[in-house]
Amino acid sequence: MNMGDTVIVVVVILLGAVLLFIFPLMTMADNTDDIAQLTVEAATTEFGNDIRTTGKLTMDKYSKFVETLSSTGNSYDIEMQIQVLDENPSKKTTQAESTKIGENVYYTMYTSQIFDIINPSSGETKTLALKEGDIFVIIVRNSNTTLSQQLKSFLYSVTGNDAYVIGTEQAVMVTANGSGN
Amino acid sequence: MNLQQLIVIFIIIILPISLILTSYVQNQVKTLELQISYDTKLTNATYDALKAFQLNTVNSSTSDLANSKMRDIEAAVNTFFNSVANNFNMAGYNQDILKDYVPAIVFTMYDGYYIYSPFTNTLTSEDYTTSSTYQNGETVTSLKPYIFYSCRYVTGNIDVVITYSLDNYITVQGTINNQSVYRYGYLLDNITGDYDPNTNSNSIRYREIPITTENLTEYVDDSYENTNYTKVNGVKYYLDSSNGRWYSRINDQKYYQGIEYKTENDSALRYYDEAKDFTNWVRTNLGDLRVTDAVFENGESTKQFENEDGSNVNQSLAEREQWGNLKIFESDTNTSIEDPDSNFNQHRLQVIRYSIEKNLSIAIANYNNYDGGNSNNFLMPELQENEWERILNNVSIISFLQGLNIGGKIYNGYSIVTNTKTEEVVNTDSIYITTSDGQYHRATDIELVGNTNITRSVF
Repeated sequence: MNMGDTVIVVVVILLGAVLLFIFPLMTMADNTDDIAQLTVEAATTEFGNDIRTTGKLTMDKYSKFVETLSSTGNSYDIEMQIQVLDENPSKKTTQAESTKIGENVYYTMYTSQIFDIINPSSGETKTLALKEGDIFVIIVRNSNTTLSQQLKSFLYSVTGNDAYVIGTEQAVMVTANGSGN
Repeated sequence: MNLQQLIVIFIIIILPISLILTSYVQNQVKTLELQISYDTKLTNATYDALKAFQLNTVNSSTSDLANSKMRDIEAAVNTFFNSVANNFNMAGYNQDILKDYVPAIVFTMYDGYYIYSPFTNTLTSEDYTTSSTYQNGETVTSLKPYIFYSCRYVTGNIDVVITYSLDNYITVQGTINNQSVYRYGYLLDNITGDYDPNTNSNSIRYREIPITTENLTEYVDDSYENTNYTKVNGVKYYLDSSNGRWYSRINDQKYYQGIEYKTENDSALRYYDEAKDFTNWVRTNLGDLRVTDAVFENGESTKQFENEDGSNVNQSLAEREQWGNLKIFESDTNTSIEDPDSNFNQHRLQVIRYSIEKNLSIAIANYNNYDGGNSNNFLMPELQENEWERILNNVSIISFLQGLNIGGKIYNGYSIVTNTKTEEVVNTDSIYITTSDGQYHRATDIELVGNTNITRSVF
């Protein structure tokens, strides 16, 4: 075996390793993420629809939703927003144009404020009741680094807050008046 | 060169090519996925706007007043932008940015439609001061004035504008034989007999069905008695059977009235009687009106409309008519004027479609002047026939979203959502007639003709 042949054998072995091992692994990792994405989308849609049709948000529902999400093996950031329709028809606010009355104006409750109601630190959990016309928004993003992200970071590095591969959002308008506890 | 070297060279050449091809195909798939997801988001937002419109109008007793309705619609528009912004949250677009990509939103109503889009406010100097809310020449994004589904006709001694609606109600304004006319009503064939409210003589029949008066009753109070009521100017008055007096109810308080109302409701009779008179009047005065008599607002014939360079670009209304030179209000033994395939209905749909198409394409094309530096060229997309059918038969919302970058393409989408829970219009499809054998029939059911089981009509 001369020198040239040795180099070629090394190159062939490297190529073989890449083709036989790394590529299937990357494809598989991508597929896993795709499946996780589908699961997350389905769970989020179901959660959103449940709130849309019942008008109620409880800690029970939320925990169940988080459980479904964690079955994908990733951890997630879950952001929730409730945009409450202000029923005062002549309310003037800074958000809307001050010259207009009767706009459908919303004030927003964010994740921590929602938790203050459905799972307060003082103990007893409560039902958060929404009314017809309110908008419930939920945004889910993965917070861990998935296998496919790790593999890709060999090739190029992705940094920053928006470096998620699994993510979905849903904004639903509530169609039923939920009652409290 | 031995086989090993050839293989290595082959792989080195093929691998990058396949990688690039894969990523290209993936990009295409992503673009398509994005397009579908944007379509869904737009439809969702339009549904939300519709829901808001329903919430605002259905429970409001003043929503039939023009300025109150405009307020309800503007509130629905606000909900639309709110919802669109929520749906595009992860894509990084907020409400203000998205406003630049929505050239127009159309709200079709019973006898006309509103277009929400930017326009230049025009005020005469006496109408505003420096402290006024709106100034002359200012760009305002709001509802443009209500546009009716109307068409002008000029022929012989006739110069009228006919305003159509989603059903067979029309308004005629203009001059006939140099007499000014303003008539409105429902067009119906197949009515025989007469009704005189003074003498209570009633021989009205519609498609052979005798139309009678009706006692309106409702369960009120805690007595669980079927109480007679009547509705006058939107207020319900109930008959107190113990003393024979009428009262209205506000916050569970009875307010006795000094007026006596009739227990028998003759609205149905009056409806058919007036429809018969109006249809006869239209036949007598406008019976010879043809589709080709339609002109543009300024009086120019639709047949000879040309651009400045002489090219005939705009298709004329008459050319669009598959019914050509037919008389609009004509009907024969097989086709009544209220039938979907009558000349009147075919022409009515064409007028509505032409009006929406024309004004909407103008609004969208004009949007290029207002879009604030957005380089996208806004054009009205071509709507499908089945989509037109939905628009022409229902109160609906049409929203447009254009110019968003979705990878390989620029997004250009629209969404049509029809309103099935509205106080604007009652479709003929929603009207049923009960027969004495306990069956429900559509009002236009052919089996009703000659059916002797019919005792009572329910609307």
